[in-house]
Amino acid sequence: MRRPRAPGLGSSVNWQLVVPVVGGTLGAVGVGMAVCALTAVVAGDGAGDAFATPAAGAIVVGALALASARRLRSIPFRPRDGFLAVTLAWLAAAIAGAVPFMLHGTLERPVDAFFESMSGFTTTGATLLGRIEEEPHAILLWRSLSQWMGGVGIVVLVVAIAPATGMATNRVFYAETSGMAAERLTPRIADTAKILWGIYVALTAAGFVAYSAAGMGPFDAANHILTTIATGGFSTRTASIGAFDSLAIELVAIVFMVLGGVNFALYWRALRGADSLRPQLPELRAYLVILVVATAVVTLSLIASDTAIGAAEALRDSAFTVVSITTSTGYITADFDEWNSFGQLVMLMVMFIGGCAGSTAGGMKVIRIVLLGKAAAQEIERQLRPTTVQVLRMGGRVFSEEVRKGVLAFFSIYMLVFAVGTVVMTLIGVDGTTAVSSVIASLNIIGPGLGEVGATENYAAIPSGGLWFLSALMLAGRLEVFTVLVLLTPAFWRRSVA
Amino acid sequence: MRVIVIGAGDVGRHIATTLSAERHDVTIVDQDADRVEALRNELDALVVAGNGASPKVLADLGAAEADLVCGVTQSDEANIIAALAGHQIGAKRTVARVRDADYFGGDESFATHVLGIDFVVHPERATADDLAEAIMLPGAVHAEHFADGRVSIAESILTERSPLIGRQLGERRMVRPNFIFGLIRDGKAVAAEPFHMPKRGDHILVAAAREHIGEVVGHLAGRTPTARDVIVFGAGRIGLPLSRRLEGKEGVRVTVIESNPERARYAAERLARNSVVIEEGVDKDVLLAHGVDRARAFVACAGDDRSNLLAAMHAKQLGADLCLAVVSREEFTPLVDALGIDAAFSPRLVTAEAILRSVRGGTVHAMYLLLGGAEVLEVQAEPGCRAEGRRLQEAGRQAHTRIAAVVRDGRVIIPHGDEERVHAGDRMVLFNAIRGVADVSSTFGGS
Repeated sequence: MRRPRAPGLGSSVNWQLVVPVVGGTLGAVGVGMAVCALTAVVAGDGAGDAFATPAAGAIVVGALALASARRLRSIPFRPRDGFLAVTLAWLAAAIAGAVPFMLHGTLERPVDAFFESMSGFTTTGATLLGRIEEEPHAILLWRSLSQWMGGVGIVVLVVAIAPATGMATNRVFYAETSGMAAERLTPRIADTAKILWGIYVALTAAGFVAYSAAGMGPFDAANHILTTIATGGFSTRTASIGAFDSLAIELVAIVFMVLGGVNFALYWRALRGADSLRPQLPELRAYLVILVVATAVVTLSLIASDTAIGAAEALRDSAFTVVSITTSTGYITADFDEWNSFGQLVMLMVMFIGGCAGSTAGGMKVIRIVLLGKAAAQEIERQLRPTTVQVLRMGGRVFSEEVRKGVLAFFSIYMLVFAVGTVVMTLIGVDGTTAVSSVIASLNIIGPGLGEVGATENYAAIPSGGLWFLSALMLAGRLEVFTVLVLLTPAFWRRSVA
Repeated sequence: MRVIVIGAGDVGRHIATTLSAERHDVTIVDQDADRVEALRNELDALVVAGNGASPKVLADLGAAEADLVCGVTQSDEANIIAALAGHQIGAKRTVARVRDADYFGGDESFATHVLGIDFVVHPERATADDLAEAIMLPGAVHAEHFADGRVSIAESILTERSPLIGRQLGERRMVRPNFIFGLIRDGKAVAAEPFHMPKRGDHILVAAAREHIGEVVGHLAGRTPTARDVIVFGAGRIGLPLSRRLEGKEGVRVTVIESNPERARYAAERLARNSVVIEEGVDKDVLLAHGVDRARAFVACAGDDRSNLLAAMHAKQLGADLCLAVVSREEFTPLVDALGIDAAFSPRLVTAEAILRSVRGGTVHAMYLLLGGAEVLEVQAEPGCRAEGRRLQEAGRQAHTRIAAVVRDGRVIIPHGDEERVHAGDRMVLFNAIRGVADVSSTFGGS
């Protein structure tokens, strides 16, 4: 006897559902490119054609894909479809985003253009461009805009607009904002996505005003706030924020990088009163403590190791660099490749920590690090008091045993990816320091690392195989590893239904 | 007075028995036909089989003319519905026993003002409060506050170091104003007389202003508290709220022992520190492993009376300073002293307190029942009452009754041989060595 089946449930993937999400993302990317095309026309820098054609193509494809969704609203979206849709959407965005770089001739090799584009959308900020100032405005804006779109999550943007097309998008939302942060602020997921983007836009506007007030021109201010709030790190200058040499600009950057590293849900809760804010305060507190402590120890080590540097200058350098690196932004004012080993080590450690869950920042996220530390301490205590019931808590918030398992699993997988990644990079032929730091900087979506990919260098020295691989790591890091890794398991592609 | 009791469990039976003995008209309803049959022979009351939460049944039983409808079945929901229905039909007062603190947990005014239930009794939570009071008052095994918390009474067991031992009560010296109004010896409460000579192991009942009670009890009991470790056996409806209250106190370290892993995790997640341990039982090794010999207090409040008594006895023998047991069934009460347990607490008594208070009417503001049949009441002297103008020492004084303390205009007066007299409006804390012995309303009620 044949059982009635929902359409598509027998196949391993519901392409009818994946296609609209990927297409919607492409459409959004197309709109972004159209903005750059307009900029090129206004600025008269000759890059207009490089954007107009792919923009038109992406928008048409996106519109067709979204239109195809309308008939399918009753089909259930399963977890596997969410994972696949999100990963493919990011790949599609990165590929489409690479086209203008090639058409204009900024980066000729496909691998270079793809790397630059992926570095943009994942808000990594690693670049292959040696002399950024020479690029046309449209190209610069495109780099910044891709980071801004990737910041809160380009797929979240699609989720926000998708209900208009009748798509069920819960799974997509959870696949992209995986793990610790995925929380609904509203009964309808699309409203949550809209709120997140609303907050994002508001912060961006505030940051634009602040940068302008600190003395940046409108074009620089716009580009920098797009990459600051997204904790991306692309700049319009080769010397990054350091090129401006302005304390005021650095302070504005620090404030908005810190804001970008906070859980966006916290802003929404803050608007709704102090009570609903409480569950998120412990992570915020830990995040700020980490920033302050790291700044303090780095400042002291700089003063101790370099007698030429004044206390004020050491504080300025270390505060900016710690915030820039911890929030996974990657702006540079000081070359930490030149710092003492202690300072460099602190930098590598805060790279792994990252910002708060649900922020635009990368890394393992503060909440996971804190819970990991507590779980480890409890494991040690369990040896002494085996019968005590261990509860994972942070502030007043209690976490389930599922979270404990999840955090431990996340940590081990993250470390495994890091270790394997480093081995792969050395096989490709880069030196040890560069291999370790480029993997850390990509997986944690920071940008600058040490050695050949150090603060004042770029990724041009990495062989093309390495660039492909680092691009993949960026994507995995941006989607917090699991979303991408499940696609690599054989079980994912089996025909049985999850 | 006409009283309808819904639910003939332990609590319902106890209330019905007490009220019937006080010559009230009691109707008791239960759905269990066998139980009803058994009760018919036991109680001088109307025993009816039926669903007491049903408005029709309540109306048939005459809820419209009832002075009190109280819901004390096993089900919180049934009790609430019964009280609501009783109120709607026209009963003068309604009381509901609610065990789950999720209902009206922090805000009983919702139940009172919106729903119209006059009194919601949380027996387990109230028991947890009583236990916490006793534990936080070193030297005491029970402590209760009256008159908006101005007056405290405490029950304390005398050790050999107590200054009261070997001399008459009338001759003792006092650190702070206090009044020893009752003695319990061998489980029997008596009103204290100046010629009484306390022995080691006697329980004394003492009243003092709240700010003095700690000092007074510490002095009288002859105990010197050392460690503040508290072990709570059982993380149930009493153990969990008790542990939550205790862990908020400074210097107190709580260990909760629970055998059910799910219950243990539930409790652990609701406590601020990881203080819950899963242990199959509480044998000697387990108790010692958790430091029972150094513990300030051991509280047995697991589900079952027998294991509570056994655990508390065990803890006492191993050296815990204060051992308290929750005992629900009245027949186990005599065992408490025999096993060397310092005091027993009963959620059943807490419910009965609330309901009896409702029955006694307007002059009684609070009531505290002691195991063994004694009670402490808070009453207000109405203008023109019989006691007005009489000396405090004499007004309440009968063979089994004492005025333990008076609050007048916010001032605490501890009665002594002085000339203080009863004024209208005085709040009196009254001790009855035998429950219901003093005719409170005729002495202090308005004429």
